[in-house]
Amino acid sequence: MMEFKNVVTKKEIRKMLWRSSFLQTGYNYERRQANGWLYCMLPGLLKIYENEPEEMIEVAKNHVTYIGTHPFLVTFVQGVIISMEETRQDRELINSLKISLMSPLGGVGDALIWMTLLPITAGIGASIAMGGSIMGPIIFFVAFNAVHIFLRLFLMDYGYRLGAGAAVTLKTSTKKISRAASIVGMMVVGSLIPTYVKFSLPLTLDVGNEIFNLQTDLFDKIMPGLLPILLTYFCYYLLTKKKATTMKLIYLCIVIGLLGGLLGIYKYVPFTF
Amino acid sequence: MTISIIQILLLAILAGICGIDLYNGQIHIHRPIITGPVVGLILGDLETGLIAGASLEFVWMALVPLAGAQPPNVVIGGILGTAFTIITKQDPSIAVGLALPFAIIGQIITISFFSFIAIINPWVDKAIEAHEFKKYDNIMFGWQVTYFLINFIIVFIPLYFGAEQSIKIINAMPQWLIAGISAVGGIMPAVGFATLCKIMYKKAYLPFLVVGVILSAYLKLPVLAVAMIGCAVALYDYYINDKIEKIEESMGDNLYDGI
Repeated sequence: MMEFKNVVTKKEIRKMLWRSSFLQTGYNYERRQANGWLYCMLPGLLKIYENEPEEMIEVAKNHVTYIGTHPFLVTFVQGVIISMEETRQDRELINSLKISLMSPLGGVGDALIWMTLLPITAGIGASIAMGGSIMGPIIFFVAFNAVHIFLRLFLMDYGYRLGAGAAVTLKTSTKKISRAASIVGMMVVGSLIPTYVKFSLPLTLDVGNEIFNLQTDLFDKIMPGLLPILLTYFCYYLLTKKKATTMKLIYLCIVIGLLGGLLGIYKYVPFTF
Repeated sequence: MTISIIQILLLAILAGICGIDLYNGQIHIHRPIITGPVVGLILGDLETGLIAGASLEFVWMALVPLAGAQPPNVVIGGILGTAFTIITKQDPSIAVGLALPFAIIGQIITISFFSFIAIINPWVDKAIEAHEFKKYDNIMFGWQVTYFLINFIIVFIPLYFGAEQSIKIINAMPQWLIAGISAVGGIMPAVGFATLCKIMYKKAYLPFLVVGVILSAYLKLPVLAVAMIGCAVALYDYYINDKIEKIEESMGDNLYDGI
């Protein structure tokens, strides 16, 4: 039976818990919470790869790709992933498991926290405050954060135990489990592309007496989400085959958007009540 | 009533702190129900602040982001809405009308910030490449400071120059720029997914990537549903491979004999 040495102590876990509140630091539309995710993981990772700076750089690079999840429930994934890093699991397995856990958790968290917990606690608090009682905001603050902080603490612990408990099983049949995780991971990535990339060309052309809309009359008829998929593939192509830097691709996106605005392709939709 | 420069500065600092809490920390002190009484305390009218904050809380409770249209910023709307209620001695429902243009501007500027701040990513990568994780933390801290200042300024300007004067500035902003910047936010994730694929993609997994794309592009399935289908497919694949392995083992060397 394999044995694993525990290098991540309570101290690192505590630091990671504190940092988990800052998941959305460094947030931007390119990699969403990925900068913040590495920030949350750093205390643990730096401890695990203390004497392997080269390895640490590689690991960090793998963690700053694309992350989109719920900022409270993230501690569960933190727990699972740090235990997997600690037991030196296969990189492919870690990457796939991370994206497969994170992305669905985002949807679950939206429904559970933003659409249930927040309206209920804020609704009760506001009703009390309407009568002029200072207890309203206090009840809201205490009730909301009791659930919030419980979730953070419990999920980190639960995730870490789960990951550590599965460590030996994962290690002994790495190849098979990696393949299974990669299948889920790849399907999730595939699903994320048309869901989160919003790219369209709603150009209207006057053809005789009919108005032809490039987006709805052509691209959407070929395949919904065609342009987001092509754009992502184009970026992938530039990144891998043409060795383009991320910086160039980011500038490319800014130019496309601003040009579209300038030419009147994209219209500003004001928020309506 | 007129307010002093110190009160304006305190309100702007409150906006900066709450702006951070909106995305990081998230102990939800940024909700109008909390900011209302705090603004009331700063302006010396706790009772009005409390009630205005509660009614603004109900306004923003109904404003959830739907179909890509971002709701007006809750921090700016809550703080300025309550402040205008107390300053103009009006009903919160009227004061929110005054605060709304700034709440919308707050949202637009946040979207622009999230788009343009992507230019820190190459810088972040450089810090990682050099194993400079202290510097990494500093970049993240810089992000927080920038967003603090953004909220600070959006609340400071209308309180200092007056709401009507400031709305003129807002209306002078070119519409094409706002439309273009909003579009950038939608386009940019393509770069993130391309980087993700660069790390994860292998030819053997192409079929699964394609299935994932189709499920969400055509059937509009949410990510959770696709992940569940993925688990089913992965389990099936696992058992089949397990079986093949066992058959190969039991047949041993005989399998390839005589072929």
